[in-house]
Amino acid sequence: MSERSPRTLSVRQLRKAFGSHQVLDGVSLDVAPGETVVVLGGSGEGKSVFLKHINGLLQPDSGEVEVLGCPVSHLDEDALVELRRRVSYIFQQAALFDSLTVGENVAFPLQEHTRLDEAEVAARVATLLDRVGLGGTERLSPAELSGGMRKRVALARGLALDPEVILYDEPTAGLDPLTGLAIVALIKEVTRGTGATSLVVTHDLAVARELADRVAFLARGTFAFTGALAEAARQEGAVGAFVRAGGVYG
Amino acid sequence: MLGRLYDLTWRRVRHLGAVVLLGQAITVRLFTPPWSVRDMVRQLDVMGVKSTNLASVIALFTGMVLSLQTAYTLAAFGAKLYIGEVVGLSLVRELGPVLTALMVGGRVGAGITAELGSMTVSEQVEAMRSLGADPLRKLVVPRMVALLIGLPLLVVLADVMGIFGGLLISTWELGLTPSFYFGHTLRLMTYGDFFSGLGKSVFFAFAIGLVASYNGLCARGGADGVGKATTDTVVGVAITVLVLDFFLTKLFLAL
Repeated sequence: MSERSPRTLSVRQLRKAFGSHQVLDGVSLDVAPGETVVVLGGSGEGKSVFLKHINGLLQPDSGEVEVLGCPVSHLDEDALVELRRRVSYIFQQAALFDSLTVGENVAFPLQEHTRLDEAEVAARVATLLDRVGLGGTERLSPAELSGGMRKRVALARGLALDPEVILYDEPTAGLDPLTGLAIVALIKEVTRGTGATSLVVTHDLAVARELADRVAFLARGTFAFTGALAEAARQEGAVGAFVRAGGVYG
Repeated sequence: MLGRLYDLTWRRVRHLGAVVLLGQAITVRLFTPPWSVRDMVRQLDVMGVKSTNLASVIALFTGMVLSLQTAYTLAAFGAKLYIGEVVGLSLVRELGPVLTALMVGGRVGAGITAELGSMTVSEQVEAMRSLGADPLRKLVVPRMVALLIGLPLLVVLADVMGIFGGLLISTWELGLTPSFYFGHTLRLMTYGDFFSGLGKSVFFAFAIGLVASYNGLCARGGADGVGKATTDTVVGVAITVLVLDFFLTKLFLAL
C-alpha cells in the first residue's frame, strides 16, 4: 500500500482497448474526498468501462488508477478484495443475485467480510432496507421487485460495509422519470449521510444537475471537459450540444 | 484463407489455454478452505438426487437392450448362457459410466452453463467480484464438488439398474433363473472392473463441470449468448466424455 493520497481517486492516462476498438484513450481525472463527480457521455463512449477500472473489475492496458491511496492496477487479488470492501459499485441493472432473497442479497457482503452473528446481520439488513425505503421486504425474491425497488436493494447492499467511495453505473437507466427522481433523491441523501466520495456514470442530465459537484464529459476516449455543469452548457462542440440537448440548460 | 485458418486455430488454442487455467484455479479452490458446505449439499440435491430417475431409466433399458442383443449374438455360437458375464462387464466397465456421464452431463452441464451464463450476462458475477467475493469459490466449486460426488454415485446406481434390466430379460425372455444370471454376472467381474468404471466417472465429472463452468462464465450478449453457450456445453460434454473415455480405457487397461 502506498502512503495516503490527498485525493480519494486519481486516474492518469488510462488506456483500454477491446480488440481494435480503443475505448479509453488517455483518460485522466482527480476526485477529492467527499466530492461527487458525474461522468457524462453518449451511449457506447466507454463510461461503464471507465468505472469498472476504479475498483479493478477491469485492468487497464496502460495508465494508473489510484483509489484511497491504493494503486488499483498493481494490486493482487487479496488486496483488491480489501479495496472492494471500501469501494462500493452499484450496477446499472442492479445485479441482484436471483437465487437469493432481498434480505440475503443485502446480507451477502456482511457475511463475506464481517464476523457478525445471524441476529446482528438480520438487524443490520433491516436497518439498511429501512434506509432505502424497503423495510420488511427481506423475504421477497428479486424477481418480485420493480426496477426502482431493485435499484434500492442494490444501494442497500452497496452501503452494507459503509463504503468510503460509491460508484454508480447509470443509476436511473430503465426507470420512469418519477422513480428516477426518487432514486436520485435517495443517492443525495446517502451521499449527505455517509460523506462518501461518489462517481456517477450517466447520460441523464437530470442526474447530473441534482448530484454533481463537477461533471466530466467523456467523448472519443478522453474527457473533453471537466468542470461545472453550467459551464459545460456554454462549451462549443459536442460537450455544449450534449448538455443543451438534455434541456437542463437551454 | 490461410489468415482465417490461423485466426481460428489461434482462437481455439487460446480457449484451450483458458480452460486449462480455469481447471487449475478450480482445483486449487477444491483443496483450500473456505468451503460452503450448505451450497455443496444444495447442488448435490439439484444435480445428483434429481438425476436419479434419468440415470435409472437409461441404465435399466440399456441393460435390457444389451441382454436382448447379446443373447441374439451369442445364440449363433451356442453361448447364450454367458449373457450374465457380457452384460455385467459391459455395463460396469463401460456403458454405466459413459452413458450416465453423457445423459446426466448433458442435463447438469446445460443447467450449470445456463445458470452461470445468466448470472454473467446480467452482471451478477461481476457484482460478486465487486463485493469482494470469489465467483469460482462461491459458484463453481459447490457445483464441481456436487458433480464429483454425485456422478460416481449415479454410476453405481446405473450399474445396479442395468444389471437388473439384464436380469429381467434373461428370466422373462431367455428362461434363465435369477441365481444362474447373477452367478454368471459376478463370476468374472473383479473389483478392478468396478473401480475402473467408477474411476472414469470422477474424471468425467471434472470434465463436465469444467466445460459447463467455462462456457457459462464466458457467455456474452444476453439470452442469445446464454443459449449458444448452453448448446456449446451439451456438444462439448458429449465430445469430451467420449474422447476422455478412450484415453481412460487405454490407461486403466495398462494399469
